[in-house]
Amino acid sequence: MLSAESAAERMIFEEPYYEVLGNEREVFTAAYRNQLPVLLKGPTGCGKTRFVHHMAWHLKRPLVTVACHDDLTAADLIGRYLVKGGQTEWLDGPLAQAVRMGAICYLDEVVEARKDTSVVIHPLCDDRRILPLDKLGELLQVPPEFCLVVSYNPGYQSVLKDLKQSTRQRFVALEFDYPQPDLERRIVEIEGRVGPEMAARLVKFGAHTRNLKGAGLEEGASTRLLVNAAKLIGSGVAPGVACASAVAHALTDDAELLQTVHELASAVF
Amino acid sequence: MPVTAAVGRVSLGHPARAQGLSPAQIQQDLSQIAEAAGVSQPHLSALLTAIAELDHAAQEFIHHWAETLAWLQQDLAAHFLAQVPDALAVLEQPAIEGWLLRAMDAFDQRGLAVALEVLQDLPACVAAQTLARTGCTLDQIAGFLRHFIRALGGRPLAIVSDPLTYTDTDKIYLPALLITLPEPAGNARLLKCMAVYLWAQNRFGTWRYGTVGQAITQLDVLGWQVFQRLESVRIMACIGRELPGLGREMDSVAYADAAARRAWGNFSAAAQALEAPHASAQDSLALVAACRALALPPPRQYQGEMLPQKVAEAIARRVPREKDALRQALASLTPDAAEKDPDHPEETPPEVAAEGAAGNRYSLAQTAPNAAGEPQYELRYDGQKVALTAELDALLQSILQDLGELSEEHLSPSGAAGIDPRDEQGSPGAAGAGEVLSGPGEVFLYPEWDYRRQYFRPDFCALTEQVVPAGDDAFVARTRHKYRGLAKSIQRVFEAILTETQRQRRQPHGDELDLDALIEAHVDHLRGHEMSDRLYTHFHKAQRSVAVMFMVDMSGSTKGWINDAERESLILLCGALETLGDTYAIYGFSGRTNRRCEVYRVKTFTEPFSLAVERRISGISAKSYTRMGVAIRHLGKLLAQTPARTRLLITLSDGKPEDYGSYRGRYGIEDTRHALLEIKRDGIHPFCITIDREAQDYLPHMYGLANFTMVDDVMKLPWKVADIYRRITT
Repeated sequence: MLSAESAAERMIFEEPYYEVLGNEREVFTAAYRNQLPVLLKGPTGCGKTRFVHHMAWHLKRPLVTVACHDDLTAADLIGRYLVKGGQTEWLDGPLAQAVRMGAICYLDEVVEARKDTSVVIHPLCDDRRILPLDKLGELLQVPPEFCLVVSYNPGYQSVLKDLKQSTRQRFVALEFDYPQPDLERRIVEIEGRVGPEMAARLVKFGAHTRNLKGAGLEEGASTRLLVNAAKLIGSGVAPGVACASAVAHALTDDAELLQTVHELASAVF
Repeated sequence: MPVTAAVGRVSLGHPARAQGLSPAQIQQDLSQIAEAAGVSQPHLSALLTAIAELDHAAQEFIHHWAETLAWLQQDLAAHFLAQVPDALAVLEQPAIEGWLLRAMDAFDQRGLAVALEVLQDLPACVAAQTLARTGCTLDQIAGFLRHFIRALGGRPLAIVSDPLTYTDTDKIYLPALLITLPEPAGNARLLKCMAVYLWAQNRFGTWRYGTVGQAITQLDVLGWQVFQRLESVRIMACIGRELPGLGREMDSVAYADAAARRAWGNFSAAAQALEAPHASAQDSLALVAACRALALPPPRQYQGEMLPQKVAEAIARRVPREKDALRQALASLTPDAAEKDPDHPEETPPEVAAEGAAGNRYSLAQTAPNAAGEPQYELRYDGQKVALTAELDALLQSILQDLGELSEEHLSPSGAAGIDPRDEQGSPGAAGAGEVLSGPGEVFLYPEWDYRRQYFRPDFCALTEQVVPAGDDAFVARTRHKYRGLAKSIQRVFEAILTETQRQRRQPHGDELDLDALIEAHVDHLRGHEMSDRLYTHFHKAQRSVAVMFMVDMSGSTKGWINDAERESLILLCGALETLGDTYAIYGFSGRTNRRCEVYRVKTFTEPFSLAVERRISGISAKSYTRMGVAIRHLGKLLAQTPARTRLLITLSDGKPEDYGSYRGRYGIEDTRHALLEIKRDGIHPFCITIDREAQDYLPHMYGLANFTMVDDVMKLPWKVADIYRRITT
């Protein structure tokens, strides 16, 4: 069913690069020690996933990540019977696997998942700490090492896809935003492997695009996009071209906005 | 307005410009138009001879525009005909079109006299044509500029065209056409630099509240000239630091010639202190006296004018308004503030409240600037950081841009949170009393499509939203009783839609095993055949995400049984929609002329269904005309803002669009069609339910073949509407 290898494969041995924004590490650790589930809020590309990787490394737990989509059902999470050689055989879903191995289970963009997933998430997240595997007739008692982490972006999802109160009120919530300029500059510098001057300009460029949020763009350039642009620049691509490819076209298809983002890039370089 | 014979001939389905006319026909039409406008016989025959000598395409061109103008106003056509041979000699056809469109816009907005002035000013038009080949119009790049200036940050600045280039700190005024440089691209760049420079005046503190007042009292004409140049030195240093790429670009278009560049070099050397990072407009002001004797360089090409009076007016309008807005926002942030202060009654005037205990609780602390270089602040309440909404943050930034700091009064929450800032603004003596931007009397301006010109008539229609007065309850009760059987069956049908879920069998993935498929597969396997992998059932529940806007015709022609049928349909439908849980709104529309278009609010999207809504439905009554285009644009806009996967605009109507004046006939149909195309682009599905038997002639053209239904018996309307709704949303 579950091999020691599987848990080992999911361990993170090298420290993932992560700059602490505030007190998120202490809060996460405290929540983990108290067996409380964690909700990460924040815009795309601001470091939520990287933070979870970092914490999994820090707490020395395996990490099971599930990218949620609108066809993700409860069965996809807990597992299902398959037919093998004329016999039926149970296969654990990622959530059940994570519970058995006492891992950190990270449900990315949880609001995208089908509503019936709350049936399995709820009993996991309150003091019951159980995972019922109905079809298997098993009730998994959740080990203390297990931790459920979910993320969602309150910014761009429509009101139709908001997280229900009954779900969100089970979590310890951590809010993420784009890092402060100094920090973001360091992140772009280290992660994107460019000089401090170039990093500063990219961050400035990013801040200008974020002014357009709600005024044409759904989101401004995320830290991730800026890092991508920095990587291209580090490989010898001209800054203007790098910003166009890594940022402008990733943000929008609208001709006027594209021109605006291009001009912003040439304004800061 | 008399309808010309020519207009009658243009029938539906033809392109805007009638083609294939014989020269004789053209001559005949033109002479009719000219005669109707009172052109004298000798003039007319000379004119017709001149036109007859032109090639056929030119003649058709003249014919088309003469008809279009005559439809609007016959004098316009007569003036056009009188000038057209000359105009064709010097102007290309697109330039003539532009000339005529300007005249027609002038007619729409400012009347015949102004329009005739435009028509008679042919030389200006010739000049404009030459300019258009080298120049760049603001219209061409306004969309980009708005985004760009917005992205640069600070208080949002609108961009508008004006003969003068300046900013009043609310807007950036730019020339409608720029021809300073020989190339359109160069002029576009220069326009951008102008906008950036004026943005920078706002952003880098040229127009701080204190500085403006001081400068106005201190400076004479020469003083302003010196100040303007000193500020230019300082601002360009700021831009060069913050946005080096832009700084280089602006430098490349700054000077007309090498002499100007040299002159600026000398001047800047004298004002070097202003290039330091911490130099402010105050420093520029202090330097004015010392620099008066210097030779002044010509203004940099992008720097525009300084109009301190306009700035002072704008600031005087904005500062009190924003102060009130901030204090109210603070009051709503701390609903307990008033309760905790029992000795601080609500009637306390704000001035006194500022000295009260509540006044000292908020404080503002400056933090590190953000990456865009804008100063950042933290609002604290009793020393604790307060999270700011985006609106509040923008408000704070705007206030700080004016004042540089916040007074204690700013930071004292206003006592009565219910006071509308507009109340104070509207009081005598307060500037900008006319600038009421929202509220019950808000006027929305919409363009209207003129198919003859193939252009919009900008801001042509003025629309207001009004509330339908409550009608009598008896009508609702009567309808309920009359249709009690029908209501039940509609209810059942709609409930069936809701529970319609599908179990999809034999799926490759799914929620559960499909036993039938599994057994089959097992048998196949045992017999040595290939086994299917489609072994699951998938439970698929159709999720409804529908927002629907009912647009109800309240024109005069609906009076009587059509109006009754509309109201009955709506009452029945509301019950059904409540069952489905769809988001819906109901608005009526009517109006008289383009300046008095009205939509009547019966139910908004967010309002729950209630007795009040029912009463308003029964209060729907016949008003005047049917100007459909503007109503579609307005209601489409409301619908587009409503989150839903499917958005429907359903029109209940009794006939084709019609309004007092020129809106009847093809003009109204084309405008309506265009408005429908506009909302389709926003992802809205329009649908029309009509009881007009002649609808077959025009509805396919307006709505498309599949998007309308005719109900021949008005008595059937209530049933039909529900049935159609079910059909188009499932």
